[in-house]
Order: sequence, then C-alpha cells, then structure tokens
Amino acid sequence: MALLQRKHKIPLGIYVHVPFCRSKCQYCDFYSLTGKKDCDFEGYLEAVCDHIREAGGQAPNHIVDTVYFGGGTPSFLGGEALAMILTVIRKSFDVSPTAEITFEANPDSVNDRLLRRLRSEGFNRVSLGIQCDNDEILKRLGRPHDYQQAVKAVERIRKKGFRNLSVDLMYGLPGQRLADWEQTLQNVLQLKPEHISCYGLKVEEGTPLYECQEFYNLADDDTQADMYLSAVQILRKHGYRQYEISNFCRKGQVSRHNLKYWNGGEYLGFGPDASSDFGGRRFAIVRDLPAYIEGIRTGGTVLRELQEVAPRERAGEYLMMRLRTVSGIDPAAYEKQHLLPFAPLEKALWKCKELGHAEKTYDGRWHLTPAGFLVSNSIISDLLLIQEQTKPFSNR
Amino acid sequence: MTDLSKIRNFSIIAHIDHGKSTLADRLLEECDAIDRREMENQILDSMELERERGITIKARAVQLTYHADDGETYALNLIDTPGHVDFNYEVSRSLAACEGAVLVVDASQGVEAQTLANTFLATDAGLEVLPVINKIDLPSARPEEVKAEIEDIICIPAEDAPEISAKNGINIHSVLEMVVRDVPAPKGDRDAPLQALIFDSQYDSYRGVIVYVRIKEGTVRPGMDIQMMATGAVYKVVEVGTMNPLGLTPRDALGAGEVGYITASIKNVADTRVGDTVTTVENPASEALPGYRQVQPMVYSGVYPADGAKYQDLREALEKLKLNDASMSYELESSIALGFGFRCGFLGLLHMEIIQERLEREYNLDLITTAPNVVYRVTKNTGEVLMVDNPLDYPDPMDIQLAEEPFVKASLIAPQEYVGNIMDLATARRGEFKDMVYLDAKRVELHYEIPLNEIIYDFFDALKSRTRGYGSLDYELIGYRPSRLVKLDILLNGDIVDALSFILFADNAYPRARKICEKLKENIPRAQFEIPVQAAIGGKIIARETIKALRKDVLAKCYGGDITRKKKLLEKQKEGKKRMRTFGTVAVPSEAFMAVLKLDED
Repeated sequence: MALLQRKHKIPLGIYVHVPFCRSKCQYCDFYSLTGKKDCDFEGYLEAVCDHIREAGGQAPNHIVDTVYFGGGTPSFLGGEALAMILTVIRKSFDVSPTAEITFEANPDSVNDRLLRRLRSEGFNRVSLGIQCDNDEILKRLGRPHDYQQAVKAVERIRKKGFRNLSVDLMYGLPGQRLADWEQTLQNVLQLKPEHISCYGLKVEEGTPLYECQEFYNLADDDTQADMYLSAVQILRKHGYRQYEISNFCRKGQVSRHNLKYWNGGEYLGFGPDASSDFGGRRFAIVRDLPAYIEGIRTGGTVLRELQEVAPRERAGEYLMMRLRTVSGIDPAAYEKQHLLPFAPLEKALWKCKELGHAEKTYDGRWHLTPAGFLVSNSIISDLLLIQEQTKPFSNR
Repeated sequence: MTDLSKIRNFSIIAHIDHGKSTLADRLLEECDAIDRREMENQILDSMELERERGITIKARAVQLTYHADDGETYALNLIDTPGHVDFNYEVSRSLAACEGAVLVVDASQGVEAQTLANTFLATDAGLEVLPVINKIDLPSARPEEVKAEIEDIICIPAEDAPEISAKNGINIHSVLEMVVRDVPAPKGDRDAPLQALIFDSQYDSYRGVIVYVRIKEGTVRPGMDIQMMATGAVYKVVEVGTMNPLGLTPRDALGAGEVGYITASIKNVADTRVGDTVTTVENPASEALPGYRQVQPMVYSGVYPADGAKYQDLREALEKLKLNDASMSYELESSIALGFGFRCGFLGLLHMEIIQERLEREYNLDLITTAPNVVYRVTKNTGEVLMVDNPLDYPDPMDIQLAEEPFVKASLIAPQEYVGNIMDLATARRGEFKDMVYLDAKRVELHYEIPLNEIIYDFFDALKSRTRGYGSLDYELIGYRPSRLVKLDILLNGDIVDALSFILFADNAYPRARKICEKLKENIPRAQFEIPVQAAIGGKIIARETIKALRKDVLAKCYGGDITRKKKLLEKQKEGKKRMRTFGTVAVPSEAFMAVLKLDED
C-alpha cells in the first residue's frame, strides 16, 4: 500500500479509555471500575494493546496528531502501563513527532516516578482533576484527595517538565455559593495552568448523587448561570480565552484533541466505552471490561453501536458541535460541505444576536456569546428544526 | 310483514351502571339471536369509544325472534337509547318509536337520579314502564325495599317486577315474558298513508344512508317514491328490512307497527334527520308525526390540526364523520395564530369530546381545540343583528347596542342532602332559582334558569362531584336574554393570540383572566427571552404574568463519547418544538390550549 507523504495525510486523534479509579465520585457517570476484584489491569492492558495493533493497519493514510488518555483515572493505572500503551500506538500508527499527548490524572495518583516515566515517553500534556478548593465539598463529592494535594501535584507536574497543564473545575457544587466559586477560581489561577475547563455540575441519572440530590444544597439554574458568566469574566481578565462552552486557555494552548470532537475531525477510541468517528462511521465499544477483554481475545465484536452517519445528520452535528466553540460556524464552509442553504439559519441567528446570544464576526462567521452558550440547547434545537426544513442545493 | 299482535317495540332505560347494556346482551342470547362465540360484550354499543366509556352514543335497534311460553312467536324490537343530556332529543325520538320501556333498577342502589329522569321521559312519551330488579345475586341486594321505592317514588307497580341478574343470566326469560305480556302491541293501519318515524340513520359506503324507522302508519316497499316531510327530500326506496344483531335482513315490505330500515341511495345523512317523518310521494300523509325538532349545535369551537400541514387530513376526517352525524356542523375558519382549521358546532361538551376523540383516534390526528363558545346575539347600533359563534367575529364594544346570551331552563335532581351544594353551584353559575319540588321524602328537583355558557364548560362534572354522583341534569334552551358580555383577548409577548380569545360575562372576566394567565405561564416553556402573558378587554390589560427568560439549558460536556447521546437529546427537544405552534415570537405547546380549556378543574 502506497503511503502518502505525511503532509498529505489525514489527521487522526486517538482516545484511550482507562476504566479504573481509586474510588467512584458521587456525580460521575463515566464507565469506571473500582476495587481490586474488578480492576483487571493486566487483562485490560493486553486487550487494549491488541486492539490498537489490530486497528493500526486500517489507517495507513492517517497521521496521529493527538493522543488522549481519559478515564476513569489513567494515572491510577500507573506510568508503566500508560507508557506501554503509547508505545504500541506509536508502533501501530504513524504518530506525528509534534503530536499532543495528554493523560488525565487525579492529584492523589500523581507521583514523581509516574511523571518522569510519562514525560520521557513523550507525554506532553496533563489534565488534572482538581474540581474545587474546598476540602469539605471534595469529601462530599467522594473525591479521593484534598486541595493541598492538588497544589502539590501541580508543583510536581511542573518540576517534571510538563509545560502544558490543564485543570478541571466544577461549579454548582453542593453548598457552593457564587463567592466561593469566584474564590476557587482566584486560587486556581495562582497555579498558572495553561488551560482550564469549568463544568457546571449536572446530576446524571444512575449516579449516587442522583439518588440523594435532595439532601444536597445544589445551586439552582440561575445561580449556575451566574457562576458561569462570572467565570468567563474572571478568566478573561486573567488572560484566558474562552474557546468552547466549558473550556478556556492561554493563547494557543487549546486542547487540540478535544477540538477534533467539536470540529468534526476523525478519531479512534480504544478501551471499554470508547467512541470513534472514523471513515464516515460512528461506533462505540461495549461498556463492560470483561466483555471487551473477551471480545478482543476471541476476535469477536466489541462494539455496542455502529452507525453510518448520513449527510443530513452530519449537517446537524456540524451545528450542534461547532456552536459549542467560539470560532463558531462559517456559512461558506457550511454550504459547501453540506449543500444546504445557510440563509434560513442566519435569519434565526440574527434574532439571537438581538437578544445578545450570538455574534457575527467581521469575516462572516457566527458564534454564540457566553449568555448564548448558557441557552445553547434551545438555540441549537431551534436551528436543527429550521435546518430540517431546508432543501439541499441541487448538485452543481 | 309480522302481524301487529305479534310485535313488541321496547327500549331499556336505567341509571348509569345499573346494567342496561348487559341486560340487552342477555336478551339477545336468550333469543339465540347470536351465538355466544360471536358475542362481543355489549354488541349494541359497537363503537369502540362507546364500549370504553360505557355509554351509548348512538341509538341502535335490533330485532329478536322470541318463542314465548304461550306457543306464539314474537318479533321483539329492542331500541337502545343514548345516555347523556347532550342527546336528550335523540332519546326522546327513540322512545317515541316504542310502546314500552324496561326500567332496570340496581337491587342494592335502588332508584337514582337518572332512573327518575329516564322514567319521566318514557312516561311523557306514553310508554308502559316495566321495572326489573337487577343484580339480585349481590349480597347487598334488597329487592323488596327497592320495589317499594319504585312504587313510592315513581308510582308504578313493581310488586311483580322480575328479579334478575343480567351478568349471570338469572331469570332473563321472565323479562322476555313480561315484555310480551305487558308491552302493548303496536297499533296502526297498514293501508293508511305512510308515516314512518326516523329515529336514527347511518352512512354506509355501499348503500348510502341507512335510515332506521318505526312505521307508525301505512306500508313501505322497495320501488316506492318517498319523501322526508321536514327536509322535502325525495328518494326511491331500494331496500327495506329489519336489523338483526349481526346485520341487515331484507324484507318485502315494512308495515305499521314494525321497526326496520330503509335504503334509497341517499347520499347525505342531513336529509334524514332524526324525528322527521317519511311518507310516500304518491299518497302523502296529511301531517308529519309530532315532536320533530331541527337539532341545532349549542356549542362551537375551533378545531385545528396541531401540525398545520395536516389541514387536508382534518377536512377529510370531518367530511367522513359528518356523513354519520348530522348534528355536527363545521365550516372553514382561519386563525392568524393557528392557520387553517374549522369552526365546529356540537350538541354539547360530551358530543364535542367524542368528536375530538374520534378524530384523534380513528383518523390519527393531533388537534388543537379552542375554548368552546355558545352563540351570542348581538344587535349593533346600526340595527343589524349578528349571531356570533366565534369570538373573532365579536364586534367592537362601541358598535354594540345590545348583547344577549342564550339561557336554558335546567332541572337538577339529587338527594335532598345535596340541595345546599347544588344551590351554591347554580348561584355561582349565575343561575336564577325558579322552584324546588320534593319528588319524595328524599329526592328533590330544582329548577333554575342559567346562561348556557355557564352550563357547557364543566357544570355537569361539578354537579356530579358536589352530589357524589347522584345529581342529574337536564336542560332546554329557553331563549336569549340581555347580558353584559366582554371579549377577553390574550396577548403573548405583546401580540394577541386570536385562538385564545373568548366571550364571557363581564363579572367573570377578572378571575378568569387571572387563571388563564397563570395556566399559560405554567404550560408555556421558558424561551430565550422573557414573555409577558397578558389578558385584555378592549385595549385594557386586566391580568399579567411573566414567563422568565430561560437562563440555563446547556450541555456542559460534549466529547467523543457524548455525541450520539446528546444529539438524541437535542433531536428530542427539536421534535418537541415541532409540535408547538408559534405565535408571533412565542412557541406554545398544544398542552397550553388544553390547560386553558380545563380551567375549572382545580
């Protein structure tokens, strides 16, 4: 098979799901296992590596420019294992020398050995789950660390030479007031991360939090909205540009991997519950580690979902995902890619603009404002309805 | 033709749930009219909706062949009657086709409101009323007391009333014997000019309208030219016959005393009005049978497809329903808010609900119905008189010289302990007390004159709940009276939503306006902007609520694994919006319309 020159290759993101945690957080609905019995590290490692090797051959014309280890708690799996998976990825795919390689970590499982190992292996970005600076709240959420540990972890990460650090924060937490949240931001800004993600707490069905939410003093929608707008403002003042609904960064330090999701790039996911969008199809792996291991071992299927995405659906996804970003949608690109007229959508966007929910840039792009992001479901569903009624351009 | 002396025409009357339809089924079985296997319970109530609601909506008739103990064979015509105040006229015409009525009384419940009301209807029609004590096998049965009640309260002999259980088939035979013995045989001259009473009609796509008649005088045969005396329509008879439980049986002729059907390639049920008299063109009767009334819709409401694109489907569905229901009317209406739809006229609210449900179920339509409205009479300063059945046509108050609303004479029957409750209710509904009669030691009948407008919404339900189900209501239109009326407009975000406007009594405007605004606030989802909900009379705002702007509706996280799930969520939200109607800038779900209609339920 003739390999394309690197510069002509298609960029590809690789996501590895590490489904293990020291303990389960109250609000979390990701696929993750805890406890010695369920945490089959070896079985997982073998399966995920085999899986990656197997898939490698299918992307000869792709160049991997981002790799992301998410979870779960990848740091909990340990440095050796993560390094080994990355090595397999490098052997199986064409990984760019400038690739962004991220791992998620919790403050309690970040140690010098792990950091040293991963840095030397080529990992260059850390996403640290801090969530909050209030130990009381951290405890209530079931986080296995306190804030001091988070501060220490940041120091270690910096010492070991990671120059791209992202921290995850949450607002709308039990008992958290607007002033508390603003203080959290101030404290975290002292740590000088390159990237900050701020997530409003969402009570997901099936989580422990869901079961007993009435016992927590959760912020109402209005308070969450105030917290959000306040965060946007504070972060902007400190030089962090918002580039997506929940993501902020210093100049140029966007998460290149996550941008792929919002901009419609291709990615392959490995490990249980990982998702892929590759070759025009979306597929997802079973949310069940033993089944995953078994499937890989026996050569059976490990997918729980597989669908060809129709052009119309892509057009909907374009709106839904792009409008999450501050670079927003480009009418010309939209019309060219999806062969649908933009004018009816633009009419609705003008109305959003009147309400202060959207803006049009000098070069004709449309994006939502922070207030618009807050009601983006409502805006996007309006646009989807309009889009559904537009007729495609006839083939030119 | 069956000999007059071998015919018995009767109907069954009862309070609701006393076992009318069950008894009808047993009579059919006892006469071997149908096989048990073929038996679908309550075959007379053959509409799905009727079976579900346990009420009879349309009259039905069936002929039973009964070999009596006296060795003779009789033709028993059982005519079933509808059971709701909306259909009182139809009931009276069905009864007019009979000589007797079997009155079913529950052995433990005894005489109840409708027992009484229906008995009066039957005796008014000159029928022999024959009591039957049902549910005799219940432990709580007290047949002797109930018989005494019947004699005391209704003043008809009940000593020999058969004691039966329709459910378990006990003593059914004695009911049939009683019918043969005590229902008078019909009278009539089969050589006289034809007089046939239409008590129902039904559209059949193969035969045209099937007209159900009771021949009072004369004879009708295929080939005859017949005329409907009220409408003047003329047809040639194609077929005559009798109804058996599983279909129609053609006969050579139908003569005086008989009950049967006529087909004559009639295209339109409106030509065969219930209560009209059929005669022959060649030898017409000198006069029509008494009691005919042209049925007028009493309540109007706008009916719109929830999805504007389904307008044609709605039109076709209405056309088909109308084929079978001459009492419903519809005409094209358009609303700025709802687009194209129809203004439909109904006999009452139950009739309206039934039509709506049939449209939604049988024709798979989602509907938006506007508030029901009676017909107001407005005299303008110019002297012009308008009959207003649509709030949109209500003239500017400046141009109105006199506004009048229809009044009814309502008779309310209930046990005496509920008199206070009934009086409170009637007074709250602007009822003017006329008189009160003790029907016996326990039961009272009250007469009120009440605006029809106050009756149509939920009066019957309110009466039921204030009398623990014992109260009954009957009413008849007595004419128009001057009234202080206003048109109430509803504004969403400053724009009048015409489909929500309605006409009401001025003093009711404030509380009602407040309630409507509250209901709309509850039922209209928050939008990206604040929505004032206002009620106004003329230009004056009399109530206001505010739907606050949506503050937060966002998916905080959306990465690779979330896309499919979150897409579904947004799709669902989109589909929800598709079902809403947009008024100016505000999207309103159809539930909001429903909520406004059901204002008085809490």
